[in-house]
Amino acid sequence: MKVQEIRELIKLVDQSTLDEFEYEMNGTKIKMKKNSLQPEGITVQQVIPKEALRQEEVQAAPIPQPAAAEKPAEEKKTETAENLHKITSPMVGTFYQSPSPETDAYVKAGSKVSKNSVVCIVEAMKLFNEIEAEVDGEIVEILVKDGQLVEYGQPLFLVKPE
Amino acid sequence: MQSDLRKVLLEAFHQANGGFVSGQNLAEIMGCSRTAVWKHIEELRKDGYEIEAIRKKGYRINKSPGKLSGNSILLGLETKMMGKHISYHESLPSTQKIAHKLADSGAEEGTLVIADEQTEGKGRLLRTWHSAKTGIWMSLVLRPKIPMHQAPQLTLLAAVAIVQAIEDTTSLLPAIKWPNDILINGKKVTGILTEMQAEADRIHSVIIGIGINVNQGLEDFPDEIKETATSLSIEEGQPISRTSIIQSFLKHFEILYNLFLKEGFKPIKLLWESYAVSLGKEIKASTLTGVLYGKAIGITEDGVLLLKDDEGEIHNIYSADIEIS
Repeated sequence: MKVQEIRELIKLVDQSTLDEFEYEMNGTKIKMKKNSLQPEGITVQQVIPKEALRQEEVQAAPIPQPAAAEKPAEEKKTETAENLHKITSPMVGTFYQSPSPETDAYVKAGSKVSKNSVVCIVEAMKLFNEIEAEVDGEIVEILVKDGQLVEYGQPLFLVKPE
Repeated sequence: MQSDLRKVLLEAFHQANGGFVSGQNLAEIMGCSRTAVWKHIEELRKDGYEIEAIRKKGYRINKSPGKLSGNSILLGLETKMMGKHISYHESLPSTQKIAHKLADSGAEEGTLVIADEQTEGKGRLLRTWHSAKTGIWMSLVLRPKIPMHQAPQLTLLAAVAIVQAIEDTTSLLPAIKWPNDILINGKKVTGILTEMQAEADRIHSVIIGIGINVNQGLEDFPDEIKETATSLSIEEGQPISRTSIIQSFLKHFEILYNLFLKEGFKPIKLLWESYAVSLGKEIKASTLTGVLYGKAIGITEDGVLLLKDDEGEIHNIYSADIEIS
């Protein structure tokens, strides 16, 4: 079982009304339990029998020992959900990554930005809206393509704040 | 001369409606001596005003300067807010850049940046707009308290105000091509580019950049745009006062803007539609990612263009270059 899949499971259980969740397949067993006093707390246990380690699927996941399964999954989850700042589009329009097709993009993955850095333009009806980073940090990922139509509230960039 | 005092002086002449204003009266209004008034009058003369002085009657302005200036626009301007602060320049790379700077340093709503000549006029995606000394190149600073998604509607509003100004000052019949190009006899006379600075849910400023071809002759246009561009004076067959157009635009813009803030886009949409040339026609919409062909069937309540393709599918067009086939 991949970290990705575990993460997905945690999310689903988290959003559900379930208090407890148990799952077993090909010798891999996952058990999740919500603490009713602290609703956001989840415990994960993954028991991987020796023979299962030989399976490609498990080897691909960066989980050397069963005991470590809980940690990376939890960390990854908090990084996307809380640590990374999402720059979203304030309106429907066309996303432009540069001031003109001939010039360089305002930012790319790895670019350092400050609060007032312009990161892109969203245009509708010839109104050009310069979007600012709003946080100091580093661009981790650009989520849309140049010239793409973006919706109101659609995430455009992920920024790792400093 | 301090520009504030000059404004008071020109306003006094405007109130007199072409009549005389006594030196004593001016001294009182301006809060200075009659000798100082005389000095201010001399300054205006240097700027090209023809001022008549008659003993016991006072001063009157016989003729305002033909050249474009902040003062000539202020004299006779019928607005409360739009164009009340004017930053005039003989030559600028771009009025938008100066307007941005002024907006950043707290310029009031309605501040107008205007240049006799633009050397790096901005078109869509930085395409340069041919900006000779015979056109109007200006940027208007706005600070609307509206939700951000409504801001693009201001570009359609600006187009209506320009059309009304052209109707006021010429006998021409201007039309609007979505969203805000203004055409006369199918050729472009005006381009509008609007830029917005905003954070989260608050608009800092909306700067409307406008270029109008007014007194250019055919020879003033580069060959590559001769077929698609024209000027008001070419179409009208005589020179047009740039000052009159600017004053009229500011007046209409202010009325429409107040209406928009009070009642929303609906009344503006009706006016826009009455001038729209593209609606009901077969059009080509080019975007960065592709080209769409179809019939322009209307605009939405937000001003978004509706295109119906051959399969009957309706597309919402937020940004594109439109060609009417």
